[in-house]
Amino acid sequence: MAEATWEKPAIQTTQRGAGRLKFLIGGILILAAVVYLIISGTASGARYYITVDDLLSKPDYVGKTVRFAGVVLGDTIQYDPQNLILTFTVANIPPDYTNLAEALHLAANDPNSARVNVRVENQVKPDLLRHEAQAILTGKLGEDGVFLATELNLKCPTRFEEAQPGRAISEPSA
Amino acid sequence: MLSEIGLITLLLSFVAAVYAVAVAAYGGRVHSERLILSARNAALSTFPLLLVATGALLIALMTQQYQNSYVWSVSDPNTPPFYRFTALWGSQKGSLLFWCFLMSAFAAGALVINWRSHRRLMPYVIAYSMATLAFFVGLVLFYENPFERWWLVGGEAVRTVLIPDGAVAPSAARLAETANGLNPLLRHFGMIIHPPMLYLGFVGFVIPFAFAMAALASGDLSTNWIKATRRWTLIAWLFLSLGLLLGGRWAYDVLGWGGYWGWDPVENAAFLPWLIGTAFLHSVMIQEKRGMLKVWNMFLVLGTFSAVIFGTFATRSGLIDSVHSFARSEIGFPMFFFWAAVTVISVGLLLWRWNRGELKDDHPFVNILSRESLFVLNNVVFVLLFVAIFWGSFGAPVISEIVMNENITLGRDYFLQVTPPLFVALYILMGIAPLSAWGATSLRRLGRSLIVPLVLAAVFVAFIVIVGHTAEPAALFGYGIVSLAGFVALYETYRGVVARQRSLGENPLRALAALFTRSRRRYGGYVVHLGITVIGIGVIGSTVFQQETQRTLAVGDSLEFGGYTMRYDGFTNAIADDGRRMEIADITLLRDGRELARLRPRHDIYPTMPMTIAGAYSTLENDFYVLLVGWEANNANSATFKVYINPLINLVWWGGLILILGTLIGTWPTETVPAHLREAAPARSRARASA
Repeated sequence: MAEATWEKPAIQTTQRGAGRLKFLIGGILILAAVVYLIISGTASGARYYITVDDLLSKPDYVGKTVRFAGVVLGDTIQYDPQNLILTFTVANIPPDYTNLAEALHLAANDPNSARVNVRVENQVKPDLLRHEAQAILTGKLGEDGVFLATELNLKCPTRFEEAQPGRAISEPSA
Repeated sequence: MLSEIGLITLLLSFVAAVYAVAVAAYGGRVHSERLILSARNAALSTFPLLLVATGALLIALMTQQYQNSYVWSVSDPNTPPFYRFTALWGSQKGSLLFWCFLMSAFAAGALVINWRSHRRLMPYVIAYSMATLAFFVGLVLFYENPFERWWLVGGEAVRTVLIPDGAVAPSAARLAETANGLNPLLRHFGMIIHPPMLYLGFVGFVIPFAFAMAALASGDLSTNWIKATRRWTLIAWLFLSLGLLLGGRWAYDVLGWGGYWGWDPVENAAFLPWLIGTAFLHSVMIQEKRGMLKVWNMFLVLGTFSAVIFGTFATRSGLIDSVHSFARSEIGFPMFFFWAAVTVISVGLLLWRWNRGELKDDHPFVNILSRESLFVLNNVVFVLLFVAIFWGSFGAPVISEIVMNENITLGRDYFLQVTPPLFVALYILMGIAPLSAWGATSLRRLGRSLIVPLVLAAVFVAFIVIVGHTAEPAALFGYGIVSLAGFVALYETYRGVVARQRSLGENPLRALAALFTRSRRRYGGYVVHLGITVIGIGVIGSTVFQQETQRTLAVGDSLEFGGYTMRYDGFTNAIADDGRRMEIADITLLRDGRELARLRPRHDIYPTMPMTIAGAYSTLENDFYVLLVGWEANNANSATFKVYINPLINLVWWGGLILILGTLIGTWPTETVPAHLREAAPARSRARASA
């Protein structure tokens, strides 16, 4: 007999229906607000993640905020600690590689690779900025061909995992 | 020898885990007690086996066995013993082995503690937890083996697991000479404890996951699995929270950009499981009290584990270019496969049970102001926050690559725009929900109980204006909302104390102690809310009101900034015990002419890289954080500094400590008196009374 509730009183059904509707409308409103937030955030926060080749070959990118990765050329690093201005050149890294350390090494030593000069203002020289580091830069390419970066991230896979560690071991002690 | 011991135990633990999966699943199906016991013993054996394997690697590290290529790559003869120990998790291979060891420890703990009380679930708990363990041990064994050794074969150095034909061991001296040394970035207390904490948090979620899957597989869909896993979930959550906080502290101390959270994909990968895990901790209470949200809870716990595996995959596979993701490696594909399998199988099982009508709620949702509705709302916000952060870190880059053939990444701006409204909503709910009642609450009653906390929050905001911290409306709104949540937690505790005082005549301290011992979860939860409030105030202060400047100072010159005077006294060169060279600026910090501290921002020069170490003077009000960024080459007669004032930043760390305390209170086992003793006690007292 405890199960004999299959026919519920009409009033309860309406209340439940109204309750459900309230939750449904509330849910839709919240969802719509968040979807709007995400879309508007995406529109303003989106940066094309490109290569040095793309940056230099498509004039569309000039003046647009983009993000790109390149390999740092150590000789070109110049640092003005008084004004915290950092300039250096990065070269294109070919997109398809299996070993990042090797790809960075090859890219840095390829005289034909596309290169772009980078300027970062109000930037303390990062500890990781060195030859053959991978720089991930966000900013705008100016009309003068210099990339003014607002964000600089660095990755140095070569530091701790040498490309050819075996050679060092098999060579006799210095 | 150590490598052989490590390899053999690793292989045995893999075999044991695979055996446990097969035998537990079959034994559970045919209800064979003997098989289930055998599976349990195999599962339990993985813990000592992995303990020996991890121990073997640790001994190799401590005793400098550089022929082991892992030891060779993360330490060198100059590495101090303490860092040799922490090098165990200093790189991918070691950290994966360590991860397996922790997972086996959790699994063994859960099997031993819950064996008697949740017998019906056990075969499946063994199967799912051991399947996860077998996968990770398999990764270590076949892809990222930390027991590889260096061998010379025909003059060429190779690293292999098995000894190649005609191989000779390279000279020990040459190996020691060429060894890499631990990444200098990892030499910090935050980095030493941060990875194990994070792993414990990640790994800990395997237990609730295995129990939830066991419930789905066995058909025991009562609250048994929830009761069994409540404490495990809280422990995992605690470690994950600690891992996140310590990671932030490490970034703040070591990375030298004056901040602690950069919305980097790797940080976000660890934050994502925390978000759904937190939602789960809340919604699980509704199932316990009201028998509602059964499907949702399953979804959340499976989602948390899926997020853990996804986070591990994203961090370690090189899916996303991030400053601190491990280099691209071969484990990307198997990890992705495992993640996809876990997600598909768990969601499939859930949908199957749901479709069969076995996960019906006991009560419908009626009142929008009831505690269960507000908890659901809290869950919705947590999940939306998860979606927004997931989209920003992984969704947008991957989908744009697939659909548009162009890689679009979302920077900090995106997160700073999208997340604050959602955090505000969470704090509002944190303020209101504890005041609502199960079933239904009237608006009037809710309003009445909000009056005192609202007044307190208003006083707090007025205080902020009066002390001159800020008068900016948006910031004051933020401070008001965040503090309201904390005041509600305090006020509710106060009300509990007063109620006990009135009804039982206890003194306030005794009443407070009784509250915390009797309802550990509830009042521990309030302490956690208080911790989150303190963190929130610290986050607003340190992100909205951070000030920075830079200046070149000659020796003896001073800089005035944020009420402080910083004087450059001179420059020191030194050599540390581990051989690194240090270039140190000596600074005196003054306020109103009174000396506060001597700071020594410096550069540590390691053979592989330099490191900028900040000098900081910390008070509850703010941090004076100074970096040495340049100096005159010959005599350092002048040096350039970058200075940050980070208001209220220490509240982030203090709030973290409060959060830990609250979680410990909530997790602490309640003394359960066995039924026969409970019955015996009154009988004895009756007997005494009658005597």
